[in-house]
Formats: sequence, C-alpha cells, structure tokens
Amino acid sequence: MTEQLVDALAYLPIQRAALACVLCGVSCSLLSVFVVLMKMPLMGVSMSHAAFAGAVLGMLLDINPALSGFVMCLLAAGVLGPLSDHTDMAPENVLGIMFSFLMGLAFLGLGILTRTKANALNLMWGSMLSLSGSDIAVLTFVTSLLVLFVLLFFKEIRLVLFHRRLATASGVPARAIYYALLFLTGAVVSSNLATVGGLLIFALLVQPGATALQLTYNLKHFFIISAASGVGACVSGLIISYIFNLPSGAAVVLMATIIFAAAYIFSPKRMAAKLKKGSIYHEDDRR
Amino acid sequence: MDRYIIELEGITVRKGRGLLLDNISLSVPRSECVGIIGPNGAGKTTLLNVIAGFERFTGRLSLFERRESWKRDRATRLRIGYVPQLFQIDPAFPILASEAVITGSIGRLGLFNSPGRQERERAMQLMEMMRMAHLADRPLGQLSGGERQKVSLARAIIQKPDILLMDEPTANLDIAVQKEVMDLVSEIHRQQGLTILLVTHDFNMLPPSMSRAVLLYRGKTIFDGDMDTAMSGEILSRLFQYPLETFDRNGKRFVSYD
Repeated sequence: MTEQLVDALAYLPIQRAALACVLCGVSCSLLSVFVVLMKMPLMGVSMSHAAFAGAVLGMLLDINPALSGFVMCLLAAGVLGPLSDHTDMAPENVLGIMFSFLMGLAFLGLGILTRTKANALNLMWGSMLSLSGSDIAVLTFVTSLLVLFVLLFFKEIRLVLFHRRLATASGVPARAIYYALLFLTGAVVSSNLATVGGLLIFALLVQPGATALQLTYNLKHFFIISAASGVGACVSGLIISYIFNLPSGAAVVLMATIIFAAAYIFSPKRMAAKLKKGSIYHEDDRR
Repeated sequence: MDRYIIELEGITVRKGRGLLLDNISLSVPRSECVGIIGPNGAGKTTLLNVIAGFERFTGRLSLFERRESWKRDRATRLRIGYVPQLFQIDPAFPILASEAVITGSIGRLGLFNSPGRQERERAMQLMEMMRMAHLADRPLGQLSGGERQKVSLARAIIQKPDILLMDEPTANLDIAVQKEVMDLVSEIHRQQGLTILLVTHDFNMLPPSMSRAVLLYRGKTIFDGDMDTAMSGEILSRLFQYPLETFDRNGKRFVSYD
C-alpha cells in the first residue's frame, strides 16, 4: 500500500494535488482560528458563497473565474466590515443575510449558465487532479501572505481577538487588522475554491479551530494545533480516498470531523472544567 | 499653564431622532476623580465613549489642551486607559490572566515589537499590588467576575495613561468584590495622580477618593459639583425619580430607599 502511494507521488498531477492539499490545510486552518475565536462560523460560508457567486458570474461574462471570485469576496468583505462596524445589527445576522443573498446569486448564475455547468460544479467539489502550476503558485503566495500576517501581528491579533474595543483603546489599529483579516479570508477562499472546492472550505474554516479550542489555552499553540489538524485532515483524507477510491473532498471533511471528535472526547480543558464543576459543593473555589 | 486635562463644550450625540447627549459641558482638572452618576439611559456611557473616542459627536472636545474629534491618533489613545463593564468571555478562550494584562502595553510598544521581560515584570508587579499574583497563569475565562475586572484595571494601568475611564466597573459583582475594586481605584488614584472618570449608578459604592459628582439625566447635566453636596436626598430623588434619603454613619454618607 505504501508502495502504491509512493508510486502515485511520482506523477505531477498527484504531486500538485498533494501540495495544494497541504497549502489549503494550512491557510484554511489558520483562518479557522479567527473564525472560531471571533465566533463568526458563518464567515467561511459567506465568503465561499461570495467566491462561488463571483466565479459563476465570471464564467457567464467570460472572465477568469478565480479572479471574479476574488473580486466578489473583496466586495463581500467591503460590505461586511462597515455593516458590522456601524449598524446595530449583530455581525452574525449580517453574515446570514449575505450568505443567503450570495447563494441566491450563485444559483441564479448557475441557472443562466448553459454551456459549462460542469465547470461551475467543479467549484463545489474542486478538481484536485487538474491543477496548473499557476494554481499552485497563487495558493503558495496567498498562504505565505497569511502566515506572514499571523507572525508579524501576533500580539495585535491576540488583543483584537480578545476584545476589539480594548484593542482600539490601547492604540492598536483594530479596524485595520480586522479588515486585513477579511481581505485575507477572501483571498484564501477564492484561491482555494477552484482547487479543493467550496464544501471543503466550509469544513476547514471551522473544524481545525474548533479542534484547537478543545486542547490549549496558549494562542501560539492554538495556531499550530489548528494548522496541524487541518493539514492532517487533508493529507489523511487524500490518502484514504486514494486507497479506497472515495471522493477526496468528502474524505477530508470526514477526517476533519473525526479529528475534532477525538479532540473533544480527550479534551483536557473540558475534563478540567468537569472536575471543577463537581467540586463546587466541596470547597469555595471562587477566589 | 496646566488648566483642564478634559474639556467638553456643547457636546451633543444623536442617535436616530433622539438625543443621547444634549449640549454637555464639563471641565476636569488634572488628578481629579469624578463620578458620572445617573439612572439607566441617562447617557453616562455615551459621555464616557465620547471622551474615549468610540462615539461620534458634535461640539468641542479638548484633551490635554488639544482639540480632538472622535478619531484619535495613537499617542492620544495611549494616554487614556479604559476599563469596560464586565464582559463575557468564553471559558475556553486561549488567554491567561497575565497575558491579558500585558495586552495593555502593546499599543505603547508599537508594531513589530513584542512584549518582553520588562512588560512581564510590570504586569506581575501590578497583579501583586492588586493581590492576584497567584492568578497570573490561570486562563482568563475561568476567573470570577471580580478577578476579571481587576485584570481589566491592571490592563488599563500598564498602558501608563494620564486619564482613566471606567464604565460601571463594579456592575454585576458582589458587595465585597465591589468594595475591593473601588478601594483599588482609590489607591491607584492616590499613588499615580491619575485623572479618573467613573460611570456608575450605585452611589453607595464609590471610590473613597472621589470628590466630584456629575449627575446626568436624559442626556443633560443636572448637577456638577462637590460629591458631598450631590449626596442629598432632594437632588438624588429628583435624579432617580424615586424617593431617596441620606444618612451619615462613621463620617460617611449613605443613601437609603424604601
């Protein structure tokens, strides 16, 4: 079986698929830290539908779908940022409305699109085995940009995630960090859309962060665990799908869920909280 | 000449058709500890937010004898410490109490500089002063409300501000913890000579060093002066639209109600 895998890795399309998988795992799971800690699980769904709608419109208008998807993501970020900043609406509601609007737009485009429906459906499931060198280059660039962002602004990110208003009060450009984050989410989602597909993106924008939340109180470790579990899900899912001849996207999503479930069951944080709850009647642990 | 560190003239804040603040004027000299007191919906928090730079307004606001809008540069923000009302935090959120305190210093460090030994030591000093050094390595979300408010206070102080703004810092805390927090505020006020504005509706739980009261009612100032004068049954009854009486015990004035 290992021999089979090693043999497979000799082929360029498989090499590219493996590389894209790792890059997608890293970029989506780093973003999932923000999605989970800012409690915006709908952000991933909204962004991937923006990218999807943009790509479908791009196909209709004969524009490069990756580019039009990215533009649509930026538009969505540009609407989402100020709306959640200035209105009395909770960001969750804004996201909910945007998500359904964009889905409607995407399906409208899909309905009009007659020629290349198969191409559009690829956006849902991805097309891992037909990636070009430039696909990989874009993914590499976007992933490095995100990694750089996290490394350079780690302390600012910590405070913005903790409390945006306190960040502003302490002289941290909280709004700039937040908008940069929205921009990077758009870039990651739209560049991954054509490769791994929208379905996988939702899963990877929430599950790795939720996995890390079970395991650590240290934000550095949080990012690392999240990235590791995301890459782990991608790689193991891909291997399983290859061996058992299963759809790769589904295998990756299911692996991510299994990893999350394992983290939840064995969560030291949850166990500690449980023990504490049990002891509340025996001693005063308020101080 | 050092006149007023905070000066408001004709400050008005609108929301929709209503007025949250209606032509408020207020001058605060350096090192004064001022209570902003009033019933719910009086505009206390809005007033604090105008000074903190979280709220758009019309009128004239000067801080450190410089005219300011609701947008602030970093240097001005750094000179204003802010302690919000007790807020919810996910018990699983990945931040330790000492890390939360240190976040107060990162604006001062600027981009690309990480907090180092100096910031960690300062955070520990502050936590010792507030008698919570033993909590340094505990996840913030697992601390009690009072402990989290003390972390918030330490976080604001590590920023080395000249002005400290506090928005109902003791709301939802039990009495012993309220007293502890208010005594700490007084201690910090005396030690560091900070200018403090504290929003509250609880006139029986004020920092001992608070000398001045600004009473707000429906967006208007109805009294501005000595704390002792403000603490009269007549004025407070009018403010809260409820019959209140005051009595003195052990040299302190208390407010009571039926």
